[in-house]
Amino acid sequence: MRKYETIFISNSDLQEKNQKELFEKAQNVITQQGGDIIDFDEWGNKKLAYQINKKSHGFYVCMTYGGDGKIVAELERIFRLDDNIMKFMTILKEEVVDLEAEKEKIKNKAETKIETETVTDVDDDAEFENEVETE
Amino acid sequence: MAYQNKKFFNRRKICRFCVDDDLNMDYKEPKALKQFITERGKIIPRRITGTCAKHQRVLSTTIKRARHIALLPYVGKF
Repeated sequence: MRKYETIFISNSDLQEKNQKELFEKAQNVITQQGGDIIDFDEWGNKKLAYQINKKSHGFYVCMTYGGDGKIVAELERIFRLDDNIMKFMTILKEEVVDLEAEKEKIKNKAETKIETETVTDVDDDAEFENEVETE
Repeated sequence: MAYQNKKFFNRRKICRFCVDDDLNMDYKEPKALKQFITERGKIIPRRITGTCAKHQRVLSTTIKRARHIALLPYVGKF
């Protein structure tokens, strides 16, 4: 299994329902053809560096998945046909992928982000406790 | 020929990517790539930034990828 990374820009004016359908369609294409999605990262609305189809904002999504070349061809075919997807780009990251290790790495990254947020909250509580005890 | 001799012994800068292994060029981070493009969006030649040939090739492909995905402009301020 090869590790691919596809980044695409979809129309930012879409309603949430249509957006979700679009993303599910893209994910189904990968899973139906026998690939495995490692990460599906939605960046959100961003300002584009230049206008595409006379629009200045777009919704960025970065997908990391494992699969064959056929999956990439099918996915790109579907992106080309859909009008709501303005740009897409696929890059080959690695030739051989260990799926479980990759998924764990991504979980660890997400966990470290959550940990840093909760650690600051815990410190605030400790300070309050100390103040109460001295009084 | 005299012009070439003047520029021959220019400052010998070190390639910052060869020195620091942690610096990874990613086309998804335009802020890091901004150091290597001019105000008008052009890629700065390596004799000015001091990067080595290998890393300059990798850097130029990452900048071109970022341009394709509209994270960096082809022309203009960013």
